[in-house]
Amino acid sequence: MAVAVTEAVADVGAGRRVSARHFVRLKLRVMGNNFRGQGWRIGLFALGAFAGLWFAAFGLFLFAVPGLAGNDQYATLLAAFGGGLVVLGWLLLPLIFFGVDETLDPARFALLPLPRRTLVTGLFAAALVSVPAVAVLLAASGLILTAGIFGGWSAALTQAVGVLAGLLLCVAGARAVTSAFATMLRSRRVRDLAAVLLAGAAALIAPVQLAAAAALQDADWDRLAEVAAVVGWTPFGAPWTIGIEVAQGRVWAAPVKLLITAVTVVALLAWWSRSLESAMVGTTSSSRASTRPRATGTAVTQLFPRLLGWLPRGRFGALVAREARYWWRDARRRANLITLAVVGLFVPVMLNLGGAGDTGGGALDTSSPVLVTLSMVFVGVLAAATLANQFGFDGSAYAAHVVVGVPGAVELRARMAAFSLYLLPLVLIISGVLALLVLGQPGWIGLTAGSLLATFGAGLAVNTLLSVLGAYSLPETSNPFALNSGAGVARSFLAVLSMLASAVAVIPMVVAAALLGDVWLWLALPIGAAYGLGAALLGAYLAGDVLDRRQPELLATITPRR
Amino acid sequence: MTAEHPALALHGLVKRFDAKVAVAGVDLTVPAGSFYGLLGPNGAGKTTTLSMAVGLLRPDAGGARVLGHDVWADPVRAKQLLGVMPDGVRLFDRLSGAELLAYHGLLRGMDPAVVSQRAAELLDVLALADAGRTLVVDYSAGMKKKIGLACALLHGPRLLVLDEPFEAVDPVSAALIRDILGRYVAGGGTVVFSSHVMEVVERLCSHVAILADGAIKRVGTLDEVRGEQTLEQVFVTVVGGRTATGEELAWLSR
Repeated sequence: MAVAVTEAVADVGAGRRVSARHFVRLKLRVMGNNFRGQGWRIGLFALGAFAGLWFAAFGLFLFAVPGLAGNDQYATLLAAFGGGLVVLGWLLLPLIFFGVDETLDPARFALLPLPRRTLVTGLFAAALVSVPAVAVLLAASGLILTAGIFGGWSAALTQAVGVLAGLLLCVAGARAVTSAFATMLRSRRVRDLAAVLLAGAAALIAPVQLAAAAALQDADWDRLAEVAAVVGWTPFGAPWTIGIEVAQGRVWAAPVKLLITAVTVVALLAWWSRSLESAMVGTTSSSRASTRPRATGTAVTQLFPRLLGWLPRGRFGALVAREARYWWRDARRRANLITLAVVGLFVPVMLNLGGAGDTGGGALDTSSPVLVTLSMVFVGVLAAATLANQFGFDGSAYAAHVVVGVPGAVELRARMAAFSLYLLPLVLIISGVLALLVLGQPGWIGLTAGSLLATFGAGLAVNTLLSVLGAYSLPETSNPFALNSGAGVARSFLAVLSMLASAVAVIPMVVAAALLGDVWLWLALPIGAAYGLGAALLGAYLAGDVLDRRQPELLATITPRR
Repeated sequence: MTAEHPALALHGLVKRFDAKVAVAGVDLTVPAGSFYGLLGPNGAGKTTTLSMAVGLLRPDAGGARVLGHDVWADPVRAKQLLGVMPDGVRLFDRLSGAELLAYHGLLRGMDPAVVSQRAAELLDVLALADAGRTLVVDYSAGMKKKIGLACALLHGPRLLVLDEPFEAVDPVSAALIRDILGRYVAGGGTVVFSSHVMEVVERLCSHVAILADGAIKRVGTLDEVRGEQTLEQVFVTVVGGRTATGEELAWLSR
């Protein structure tokens, strides 16, 4: 099958050449048909477009600041760092939050006689048709403005080319990374991969810590400008700094930097096209890999993982056991779990190191309880947000629960419990690492763990309610990052909503950390744990009542349209 | 009680999707102890009707009763008496066959010992025990049908509702499923199933209903519906549509 796709004979039939234009039109048509008769989808899309425009305007202004201020000293700085952040965002955000829009699922093209090059360029062109891409294009126009003010038409024109190249880089990067990661997650060997990723993230922390501390300690603008000049020669900064180079008289730099960008884009596309192949041939090659050992024990003992043998053999226990197995066996859920683990460990460490470096003292006594609490709130909110579409993971399989008539509150409590089985050890690790290794304050472990538990519990409550009311269907593909068109907006909107709501729910914890001082270091753990547990149980009770009344409606919203 | 109430009673079921009317007022009475075939062409509304009958889809109008219990007003009792195998719906397929059966049994609040014993028997009879710990997602289409049937049978329901139970099933498995269903009906159970395979329906069913365009066109015992003709002839007459090609498609026979 793979051969048929890659070395397709284009001259079968009276074939007209298929070009990228067809893919773009196909995507627009599919998007349009998805909107048909679904007012709320149009509304969501408009909302997303509006948010995109708002951010674009903001970025436009930011990138244009040096030009408007008439000061070209920091123009390179802004272009290199700002543009670099945009690229980084395109690489990482799809993995963590948003997923990629797979309106055109590559697997659907597997049977068509298309050369791989046509397929990749076509899908790439289709991927460019999206709200975020337009937003980036708009925002980066600020760079053109800046370049034009300093260097006239020639600089502006060069920068315009640079902005286009930069956009291609962003989109190609996002596709390549998600596709490659999806391929890795599909393989059964991913258990090892998770460990490697975690270890890698942990190993990265030390050098990044040193670099960040050094950079912030002598936060000297000229030093930063030097760093920016270096970044400007990497793919992250190259496309965005072309105009300013021309404006400042280094015309030779422009073709070199364009070349750097072009080579990167081509390399990314090649990488993407390789993993596309396995996405199209897909599950058949990976699923029948091993003959499994014969089952031992009765059916009921098989259902319960060995570590969970203590669970009651009833409705609740069965639900928890099944959910626990699913968090590991379902690639989509596992992807969420792994990124959560990496980000959850990474961000608080970085945040608190930054806080420590800022005041210039040693790392030991500078991070404040408020900052620690806030970073823990972030992790807790992020963790709980994983459940915002928990029923969407199940898809039509949820019909089994409707047929049986599982009571809503039991179901939601079990789902919370199963997720917590994975999350609580992670919480312990994160708070331990933060208190012991980063802050060097074992006494603060109560504070970190308490804040995290409180946020997590409150977040569970919010997201459980959200998962019943705001569920949406996920496409049945093998790419765990794939989203239906329009769902991207819905997903980001719901995620932001849930994060805001859960963050609001833990304001008391932050206030207490600010007001109570040292006493709070001891009270944070018991109070935080109790607060979290109470909030979660209350959430399950309330949302369970809602679920009882709208089980069939929930099933209809999470069943993928075919 | 089973004697006074029909196993399944649908009255005035209506379902619209956007502008399209999928089911336009279906009334159906399935007597207890019958083997009931619901026939219809693709898109006739079979799946929609059965989904509304078992509580998977809320009807726009009308209602359904299982042995006298309203599916929407008294769902707990109705769902206890009911075993369902939906079509086109995924199972919790990242469990192995045994795990899936145990899950269904415990969800229904059954005793764990009973669940384990019945699961082992079902897996044995349906020739799924050899699959061992293979996940259901890796099963073949026929095996998925069989494990779905096992899930529906596990708690010993009084009424079985099966959507396309014979689709994608090989002849050996089909014979096995027919045998199991025959025994189930002989033992006092009631089966309602949808199909568009005439042979199966003629062979198994005591009663038949033909559904087309969201409405019941013919209903009754097999002999009443069939009359002097074969079931296929009746079906084609009722449903309409062409059964032979004319001048078109000449390029197919090159």
